[in-house]
Amino acid sequence: MPSVQLNSHSENAEKKHIEHALLPFLQSQSQNTLTRLYQRPSSCLSLFRLLEPVERQIIMSLLWLESAIPQSTMNTWVNREGRKLYDEAIATLGRLNILPTNLTNKLALNTTFKMSFRQALTGGGTSGSFGVPAENDDKSPAQDLESLDSFALERWETILHYMVSSGTEQQPTKPSQGVLYLLQRSGLMSTFQGVLRITSAGFQFLLHSPHDQLWDLLLQYLHLAEERQMDLVEVLGFIFMLSTMELGKEYSTENLSGTQKAMLEDLRDYGLIWQRKPTSRRFSPTRLATTLTSASPPLPTSSGNSSGPQEGFIILETNYRVYAYTDNPLQTAVLNLFVSLKYRFPNLVVGSITRESVRKALANGITADQIISYLMSHAHPQMRKNNPLLPVTVQDQIRLWELERNRLKSQEGYLYTAFASQADYEFVLHYAKELDVVLWENASRRCFFGTLGGHANIKGFIERRAMGSNQ
Amino acid sequence: MRAIKGILLTCDAAVKQILLIMNEKESFIIEDLDDHHVVIKAEHEWRVRQDLESELEKNTYSVD
Repeated sequence: MPSVQLNSHSENAEKKHIEHALLPFLQSQSQNTLTRLYQRPSSCLSLFRLLEPVERQIIMSLLWLESAIPQSTMNTWVNREGRKLYDEAIATLGRLNILPTNLTNKLALNTTFKMSFRQALTGGGTSGSFGVPAENDDKSPAQDLESLDSFALERWETILHYMVSSGTEQQPTKPSQGVLYLLQRSGLMSTFQGVLRITSAGFQFLLHSPHDQLWDLLLQYLHLAEERQMDLVEVLGFIFMLSTMELGKEYSTENLSGTQKAMLEDLRDYGLIWQRKPTSRRFSPTRLATTLTSASPPLPTSSGNSSGPQEGFIILETNYRVYAYTDNPLQTAVLNLFVSLKYRFPNLVVGSITRESVRKALANGITADQIISYLMSHAHPQMRKNNPLLPVTVQDQIRLWELERNRLKSQEGYLYTAFASQADYEFVLHYAKELDVVLWENASRRCFFGTLGGHANIKGFIERRAMGSNQ
Repeated sequence: MRAIKGILLTCDAAVKQILLIMNEKESFIIEDLDDHHVVIKAEHEWRVRQDLESELEKNTYSVD
């Protein structure tokens, strides 16, 4: 029964109702842009894969209907517990222009979306929105999965490694100019005395999951595309197209638009696609690209060259010791952000979480919660037997170290004191409270502290009053 | 009535006592409001934070 389904989903969704990072961006786009985007079957399918279960359920229910369906009919599917979730889903779909925004009493899918999505599911059409496979060439066979994976990994880790080791003496390989520009524009790095340095946003970025990192960068790329006057529909359409492609297949560049051909270079730099040479008329998507809208991990799980195992590798003991089973320089460098490393073996790095190491991380703008969530998401399978996953002592201590840094809170403003009478004091205080600018007050001492922003108003108020009483 | 420009510091009682002792060396407190609040001169904030940090650091011990 649909209502039961909605209900069971609601439990899951309440636990982790995290909207995909792309959705707010799409919602901010004009109706026209979205409708043009929905002309591509691949875009509709990819977007569908980014939505929440309830939203998918609604779309599927409406997809094959030729006419609009009364709201009341849909409502009978929803029980009371699922109500809020259902309303939110309808609102989200409205903002994405998949459902009409002005809710009439009938529901129907956006016609363009409906046609394209039907085509995506049943096939047919000649739009080539899922990419056109290149013809087999016996002389230069397609890259095998392994080398595609190692290419993607190498490109991606070059970017992250460059970020993490900026500002240290190490000289890691530089990513291309385009990537550096993107990192700067997105505020993940900034120039400090002529040298590119990682910012506190950048440090936080490093602790995200690869999937989130990838979308973070692509979102920045989309913003940049708007400024560069690139057609957003072309750019988004191409990213969505890549996300539906098959790993290990070669696709032809013939059918790509000018904008999309220009994107090939950028995407090569991020490791999303592979090309034999820049002028090649065929390209292969890597795992980074094909998993963009799916739940599978964007980086290969097997340990290729120089890559650590992707499932957890960190063991944290109650004595603050950290054992990280990895030989990956990037993972080691990220750990080094908040762990003081002691020994390094071919497959193991040993260190400990100390007050100094955590304070260093905090000073870089990393929060205690981020450290803890990184340790959790990368915990070794052996650790998963523990409940709670991380030793409570260590978690608490990391949080305490964070609190310790914030023992002093400062707010700029004005101290108002030496009022002539209690009535005078209360009168001004009342006015300041209405403006909501009072930070501290004490009636018996007849003084209060107001924010800097409120001073002009309070000053004006007192002057007006003084003038009034003089007359 | 008077309005005095300054910075409102909100802190715990222990930190406030340290601030009072620091104030004896070089005065920066405009008004001592209560156990958790003092108003100080804006230009001294950075230095006060530095001094407080090093004062608090004297009371922590590490195993290494």
